[in-house]
Amino acid sequence: MLDPRGVISVTQDHYLALDVLIMLLIIVPTGIFIVWAMRHYRRDGGRGRHDARWDHSYALEALVWGIPILTVGVLSYYSVKAIYAVNPYHPTIMARATHAKGPLDIDVISTDWQWVFIYPQQGIATVNRLVIPKGVPVHFRLTSATVVNDFYIPQLVGMIDVMPAMRVRQTLLASRTGTYEGYSANFSGAGFSWMNFETQAVSRSAFRAWVARVQGAPTHLSYTAFDQVAQPTINIHGRVAYFSQVQPGLFRHVVAQTAAGKTYPTPMAMTENMTRYLKAQARRDAHNRD
Amino acid sequence: MSVTTSSTLDAKGSPMWSSGHGHDVISTKTLGFWLYMLSDAMMFTALFAAYAVLGHAFNAAGGPWVRAVAHAGVAFQETYWLFGSVLAYGLAMMALKKGNRGGVLLGIAAALVIALGFLAVDGREVLDLFRMGALPERSGFLSAFFTLVFYHGLHVVVGIAWMAVMLVQVASVGLTEKVVYRLLNLRLFWHFQAVMWVFMFTFLYLRGAIV
Amino acid sequence: MLVHIDGPWSPLLGRLALSEIPYNNPILVGTFVFAALLAVILVGLVTYLGLWRTIWRDWLTSVDHKKIGIMYILIGLVMLFRGFMDAVMMRAQQAMADGPHSAGYMDSPHGYLTPYHFDQIYTAHGTIMILFAATPLLVGIMNILVPLQIGARDMAYPYLNAVSLWLTAAGAALVMASLFIGDFAHAGWFGIVPVMELPYSPGVGVDYWMWAFQLSSIGTTLGGINLLATIVKMRAPGMTWGRLPIFTWASLSANLISLSTFPVLSVALALLALDRYLGTHFYTAGLGGNLMLYNDLFWIWGHPEVYFVILPAFGMISEIIPTFSEKPLFGYLGMVLASLGIAGVSWGVWLHHFFTMAASPAVNAFFSITTMAVGIPTGVKVFNWAFTMFRGRLRFELPMMWASAALFYLLVGGLTGMMNAFTTNDYMVHNSVFVVAHFHMMLLLIVYAIFGGVNYWFPKVFGFRLEQRFGKIFFWLFTAGTAVVFIPMFTLGFMGMTRRLAYVAFPQWRPLLDIEVVGIVIYLLSAVFLVAQLYVSFRDRAQNRAGLDAWETSRSLEWMTHSPVPFYNFAVTPEVHARDERAWRVEHGVDTVRPERYEDIHMPRNTAIPLWLGALSFGLAFGLVWRMWWLTEVCGLAIFALIVIRSFDRDTDYTIPAADIERMERAIRDVPSGRPVVAGVRGAVPAFRQGV
Ligand code: HEM
Ligand SMILES: [Cu+2]
Repeated sequence: MLDPRGVISVTQDHYLALDVLIMLLIIVPTGIFIVWAMRHYRRDGGRGRHDARWDHSYALEALVWGIPILTVGVLSYYSVKAIYAVNPYHPTIMARATHAKGPLDIDVISTDWQWVFIYPQQGIATVNRLVIPKGVPVHFRLTSATVVNDFYIPQLVGMIDVMPAMRVRQTLLASRTGTYEGYSANFSGAGFSWMNFETQAVSRSAFRAWVARVQGAPTHLSYTAFDQVAQPTINIHGRVAYFSQVQPGLFRHVVAQTAAGKTYPTPMAMTENMTRYLKAQARRDAHNRD
Repeated sequence: MSVTTSSTLDAKGSPMWSSGHGHDVISTKTLGFWLYMLSDAMMFTALFAAYAVLGHAFNAAGGPWVRAVAHAGVAFQETYWLFGSVLAYGLAMMALKKGNRGGVLLGIAAALVIALGFLAVDGREVLDLFRMGALPERSGFLSAFFTLVFYHGLHVVVGIAWMAVMLVQVASVGLTEKVVYRLLNLRLFWHFQAVMWVFMFTFLYLRGAIV
Repeated sequence: MLVHIDGPWSPLLGRLALSEIPYNNPILVGTFVFAALLAVILVGLVTYLGLWRTIWRDWLTSVDHKKIGIMYILIGLVMLFRGFMDAVMMRAQQAMADGPHSAGYMDSPHGYLTPYHFDQIYTAHGTIMILFAATPLLVGIMNILVPLQIGARDMAYPYLNAVSLWLTAAGAALVMASLFIGDFAHAGWFGIVPVMELPYSPGVGVDYWMWAFQLSSIGTTLGGINLLATIVKMRAPGMTWGRLPIFTWASLSANLISLSTFPVLSVALALLALDRYLGTHFYTAGLGGNLMLYNDLFWIWGHPEVYFVILPAFGMISEIIPTFSEKPLFGYLGMVLASLGIAGVSWGVWLHHFFTMAASPAVNAFFSITTMAVGIPTGVKVFNWAFTMFRGRLRFELPMMWASAALFYLLVGGLTGMMNAFTTNDYMVHNSVFVVAHFHMMLLLIVYAIFGGVNYWFPKVFGFRLEQRFGKIFFWLFTAGTAVVFIPMFTLGFMGMTRRLAYVAFPQWRPLLDIEVVGIVIYLLSAVFLVAQLYVSFRDRAQNRAGLDAWETSRSLEWMTHSPVPFYNFAVTPEVHARDERAWRVEHGVDTVRPERYEDIHMPRNTAIPLWLGALSFGLAFGLVWRMWWLTEVCGLAIFALIVIRSFDRDTDYTIPAADIERMERAIRDVPSGRPVVAGVRGAVPAFRQGV
């Protein structure tokens, strides 16, 4: 987070620094004053004069209220400015720069406990891997097939809640190539800790090449295939999957069926009797490796 | 250090120690009950807020919506019963002021019986809705709707039980301090149900007639 | 209607079956053996000392506000210990389960806890620390102090007070029961929907969490009503609003919060219960439910709750600092306004707990500003405390050490709070361990204030001062532990580490997590010195006996009666002349003047009914958790019957004749030290201990 590589995260860090600076301007002197008073007025060895009656002063009390009010006023001003600057729907900082290349759309669906990324313009989809071109604004639409997650890539963009039966948006722009970690930040059940997805920001040509490669993948993501992907899965081994074709309207379909009451229940075996489940999974994994 | 005993402070002659004790029991108990009613009002407020959030056509999820379940006519009938009961209880309180034990008993008994009438109408209405398939688990909207109806109904049931207990106490113990403050608290409780009903009527039932 | 749940169910035991007892989990079996041993030792000790009668007559059935307060504090301390052990386990897991190659033990892929077990631990930790440790500790302290500070004999409703206590105890017991019978929730202390809905939490964990929360919520609401009525109605003559001790003001503000917001919590939880039991759709994702409704209702309570716990802590600091600065509090009126202001503003900020839900910028901006506005009264408090020390004559005895250290926590907590309130920062740190570190700074402030307060008022309640040497070692070790745990945690938050990870995917965080474990070890070490402090204090209690005013420069009314406080508090209710009555009397040289005449005192009689009500509520909730409907019905009916029966009881009070008061007062004066005295019962001549 302190090594930002995206337009949004750079702006966020800039305001963070400003906020901390203003607060320190108040807090450091206050701290110093308290420490000084604690030393100067101590009974054993302090040099301060004791005044047992002094319990108020209009001037000081004006100051006591005035300083916090002023600080909060200034901070509020910057806070509001920042909110508009990185608004996930229409970030004003990104409106300023017009980009030759139109935005890339990506639909994100979180399941228990994996991430499905759909590239509608390219007609491909991935699970647990996000690849984006550098320097191109990316517009996300996000929803969840089950419970709430937070979509979070610390070096590129802050958190946003991914909610079932609802659709939210997020916008980012990676200004340098690299591999960044993305994960869910909001607890969502047993597999939550393994809900990572590697985010690769690559050059535009590399992105095109990658798309072409994925388009050659043998598997398709139909509505029924999605149902399989969305079955509760703890992705302990960080598996990734690619789909060369996506049944049109999948994103809207998921939103609609979640709203109509569809759930992917967590089996008892993934809660109370987890030990047994994990043993079985370990056995399955060992078997697959052979 | 000399130790003296004194009840006044010499310089000004102002007292050092209070003489006697002066906490008025009835007013203390009543204040507490007011505070309790405030907390209950908060619960109602939260439920009304839930109803407001879940009151949209979308929240009916294709099932019955306001128009189909909120019948202003029936609610109007219920209003008569509930306000009649409150009125009867008010008469009991006038008898209480006069110290008329018989009048108190009569008033409360009447309030109790009329409140049962309210419950009967309320209950039939709910059963009718259930029969036509409007069940609380059908949709978020119906969940919120029935929860409010039942929460208010529960208060009426509690009020009736309380009145029954008070009938026994007034008859057996008479109008002692304890019985009196309970009667006063019950008055507050009962009026509160009427006030809540006004909100129910406006936001649940009238809305049903208008939407 | 009733939701059908897969799996076995029997009319007698509901969902409960032998397989629900975690006898195959070595950790839980170990805990059980430890708890059972402790229980056996305690029972044995009590039987050996022949204390059962005393415990029953003087404690369990007591309606005395001081004893109820002490029992609250005991519950709080036990739960604090449990919550601390949870923290130790979490830190150990995160230090072990780090990186894809970290080893796994006991069937867990990494570390020694399965994810579901880890999730239960942090949920229990948060729930316990906020609802069953901080809240009971502070409610207990308010219970003891408020009537004393305003010169009352007891609370406005002593019987209701006992009911509140036992409801809280029932909630705590439910949390403890979940350790050994079934499991606990995994959705965090504030509950996450729809994770808590049946499809995603099919077990009984959420039910345990929900009913424990509910019981404590009801108990605290009733307690709030009681304290408010006490402060409004029971003040001694002359105790005008302008003379109210500052701690009492803080309690008043806090309980305005509890009265107005705990009912909202009760509704939030009740609707969840409806979803889980009757299949309604309040918080479900589909069929017209709205999961944001839960977040709104919960945090409308949740945020004010954090101020409910911090205001009494502020109040204690405001009492301790003047005493040890030997001058009055600076800016009394400002302090009062700030307390009320915090209570007021706390209502309008809840949305900052979900800034990231993609609300419109205008909404986020509004809540960002209101949240920052809370910083204004908070800042005022810091400045006023600083100016109270200014021109003082400071003595750094133990209470003052804890209180003044708390100021620095407020500085750090305030700084980080303002960072979270700055919405775009929150996008980055929300749900990260940075936020965790922020609120731990605030909660540690409360812990510091509580330790300060306990050291400060201990002699008032028990009649002797706590030992200082071990106490100071404890203070410094505790402070060191805090620094070593939380500085790395802030750093990890900036590195993007999110909270609630049963497995940490990135090995580069490992060193900082290891340092946190070192901090935990320091905490553990410090606890040894706390025990030593308590032991030495008790052993040497005869030398440390305290007079009326244990610190010689105390200021408020509670320091004008004996230490320990007799069960009737003040032999004769004092007339109040000034804001700091005790200081005023000392200044006018009349602090040793005794009343010349005593009067009859009217006291409430002890009763076992609140205890039964608590036990029955436990049964009711336990029946609900396991869906043993008969148990729920029996307990519900019994509760109703008990309430009605109690209303027919005419013999609820008794009178102590003036002559007896005089005799007891003389006895206390003439025997300044001697018998060990426990819990403010000295002077209670046996004839006046009212059994059931
Ligand atoms: C200057 C005063 C304060 C400000 C501006 C402030 C601000 C905030 C904000 C904005 C959050 C939400 C962060 C997030 O989840 O993304 C938060 C969380 C929290 N704060 Fe504070 N806070 C203040 C004081 C306090 C106090 C006094 C306490 C407790 C005694 C407290 C306890 C908490 C807790 C428990 C949470 C997190 C709850 C959770 O997610 O589990 N805060 N604070
Ligand atoms: Cu908050």
